[in-house]
Amino acid sequence: MDSRLLQAFSHWFTISSNLLLIIGVFFFLKLPKDKRANIRYWLPFLILTFTVLYENFGSYTNYNFDFKKAINAYLGNTEYPQFNLWLFNIARRQVGVILYLLLIKYWLRPAHKKYINWMILGFIILVFVLQISGIEPLYLNQPIIFAIGANLILIGSGLYFIGMITHDQYLERNPLRLVSFWQMTIILFTFSLNYISSVSLLYLYEVNPVLGKALQDISYVMLLCTLGVLIVTIASPLLPSIFEKEPSYGTD
Amino acid sequence: MEPIEDQIYVIIFATIFLGGIMSTFVISMVFIHRQRQVQNRQKLDFIKSEHEKTLLNIENEIQQETLTHVGRELHDNIGQLLSLAKLNFNSQKPEKHIEGKEILGQIIQEVRNLSKTLNLDWVESTTVEEFLVQQLKKISDTGFCETVFEQEILLEEMEKEQKLVLIRVIQESLNNAIKHALPDLIEVRMMKSGDEKVILIRDNGKGFDTAQRSAGSGMFNLKKRMETIGGKFELKSELGKGTEISLVLPK
Repeated sequence: MDSRLLQAFSHWFTISSNLLLIIGVFFFLKLPKDKRANIRYWLPFLILTFTVLYENFGSYTNYNFDFKKAINAYLGNTEYPQFNLWLFNIARRQVGVILYLLLIKYWLRPAHKKYINWMILGFIILVFVLQISGIEPLYLNQPIIFAIGANLILIGSGLYFIGMITHDQYLERNPLRLVSFWQMTIILFTFSLNYISSVSLLYLYEVNPVLGKALQDISYVMLLCTLGVLIVTIASPLLPSIFEKEPSYGTD
Repeated sequence: MEPIEDQIYVIIFATIFLGGIMSTFVISMVFIHRQRQVQNRQKLDFIKSEHEKTLLNIENEIQQETLTHVGRELHDNIGQLLSLAKLNFNSQKPEKHIEGKEILGQIIQEVRNLSKTLNLDWVESTTVEEFLVQQLKKISDTGFCETVFEQEILLEEMEKEQKLVLIRVIQESLNNAIKHALPDLIEVRMMKSGDEKVILIRDNGKGFDTAQRSAGSGMFNLKKRMETIGGKFELKSELGKGTEISLVLPK
């Protein structure tokens, strides 16, 4: 086998995320048919699959330099042909944010769901404007877009926590035994810590690569934790003794 | 210290600070949740105990009324019939003995009917509609005033406790109308208002000022009783213009 290909896919994060996808697929297939058709389970599975696929695609772009260079050139980036930021900008910072907002929306009370719809719409418009106007090109780091995305996720999680401390159905339950609580907590941490690491990464790699790598490792670990909690969500119907029934606000 | 070193420290500090804020936020949310959970449980326990207290009061009231009714029946009805039967049996005439036996049969039937009213099982076997018709008939039979009953909707079967409270509130409202309003007409309508089912009790009596305290306290009890079963009690009254009570039924 090509040693460069092996090198590109042998990073501990890539291997771990692929293993998590296999576990996720296993649990998803074990779910009854009606549960698989329920957004509560298929959306986390979609996010899990999407994340692992784009991470693998990222590894592939590191292996196939010509392909990466061609895409960069197509987007107008001839200065840094080694960058694959365009992939992570689209997948993690744009589509990823929208998918996580949809996931958060599922757990919110109907009155709060409409806020998420407006957030998603506003975010899409803003992303287009910032990219088309050239303020944040697709092939470079996009701190503004990621900052807005991360803040929307923080607001969405905040709405969930407000519901948790005010709604009677949540007050009857133990939050530590709710999948939704762990999902929101991990998403909150992942996006806030990823934001710090993403805005300082390029700078740190230049001035202090050891710290830069450490910070990126934190992002990787948080991302793996998020994938882990998505798997737990998918597997939760199979673990009724661990998790309590989620309040549904009558939408289930 | 070098500027680059400073910036690195800022990044490390910002990361730790943000992580700390997030942790504090989530932990505080869990603590607030616990606190509110305790408050919510206390509130639910209070509502439950209030509900039980109301039910107990209603059962006591009904039992007291039943005992009074039984006493009156024993004295005025069964006692009279027994005396009559005794007179008949003391007579030498055979037709009087036959009449005495018939009276005995009537007494047995009366005792059976009376024994049925001693427990609250009748609440289960009767519907709210039947109860209303029965009560209005009783009022009109006394010749006190005319009564009208209009049924526009059908009520779903209610739990015994809910029905007991509702029946008691209806009875109390009708009693109040008879005692205090002196109306010519009492009108009861079972109808739909929006998505709510309502029993409307209206009289054309003298009415009263709803702001008066003496009138308000009895109505407050009725309101509280309706609320314990998840319903509502609304009252409209004006001096000289009668009274209208809306009992919004629990969904």
